[in-house]
Amino acid sequence: MKPLTGETDVFSHTAGSRCGVAFLARRHAAADRTGAARAVRAELAALSARGWHLSVTEMAGGQDEPTAYDTAFAHDVDVVGVFDAPDLSAALSGSVALEAAGWAKLFSTEWLIGPREFAPATTLDENSSDHHWGFFALWEWNDAWQAASADERRAYDADCDVAFAADLRAGVTIAGRHRLDWASNWHHLGVWEVSDPAQLDDAMLDHERVADFKFTTSRHYVGRKRPIAELLEGGW
Amino acid sequence: MAEVLWIHYARARSPWYELSESAREEHLSRFAAAREESAAAGGRYAGTFHVRGWSDWSTVELWHFPDADAAFAHWNRLGDAAYAQWFAFANNIGLAAEAPA
Repeated sequence: MKPLTGETDVFSHTAGSRCGVAFLARRHAAADRTGAARAVRAELAALSARGWHLSVTEMAGGQDEPTAYDTAFAHDVDVVGVFDAPDLSAALSGSVALEAAGWAKLFSTEWLIGPREFAPATTLDENSSDHHWGFFALWEWNDAWQAASADERRAYDADCDVAFAADLRAGVTIAGRHRLDWASNWHHLGVWEVSDPAQLDDAMLDHERVADFKFTTSRHYVGRKRPIAELLEGGW
Repeated sequence: MAEVLWIHYARARSPWYELSESAREEHLSRFAAAREESAAAGGRYAGTFHVRGWSDWSTVELWHFPDADAAFAHWNRLGDAAYAQWFAFANNIGLAAEAPA
């Protein structure tokens, strides 16, 4: 796969076939919520046994139970999350299997699937426990980026990397970058884990300062990190 | 792996309209070559349809691919031909469903 953007100090390309499976989900009424949740948990366990990573911590090399982010307090979706599948075919069939197992009874979901392009980046211990919030960034490289020269794009990447390096120093975990454009209007997905929304706000101010958003049209979500087992059961 | 329907909504970006006829032809021939390569690799083109009157997009183009990787490879070929520089897009995929009873 030819990457859309080049490597930087913070971001390195990943060899191999790993593939992201992100979801933007809205809860709906379910007759047997507990039964559906149990079946989804069993399917998640089966995916884990087949090499799926079901949390950002796992993607970064640590151990964790399956996790996602509770976004209902601030967004029109209730839960967002991302898994990492062994490859594109597994990602697609796994999302279909989750829906069939009971996910579809619990949520109306937009699935976003695409190969991993950059490796996770973190300066923290792999089992850092002070990350209580998640941040989702979906973005499209806009008309200005499309019209920019290779040199202009490289200079822009270098400017943004200053802010990304500051994010890492502040303790943010960046789960790499996934490539979505083959099956979406978004080019990329970036998922972070942060201590709290104030840390995220500080980071966004710095990304504004380096003009990160001059070349993107972006959509952002922030959510409280919770075990998926809890998010499946309710929360409303 | 199941066959994948690839659904490609597109509209020209503003700079496209400023190009000369010959420059457009040059780009279009590159995009056509990418499509031909995808067809030779097992993709099945299923048509392009106008949707400008009732959507955010100008056209929707449909392909059948043997699997998701083939759809991804097709989009990469178009990317290598600088297609997305000239056309905004929203892509999606579909898997075969049973016909409604």
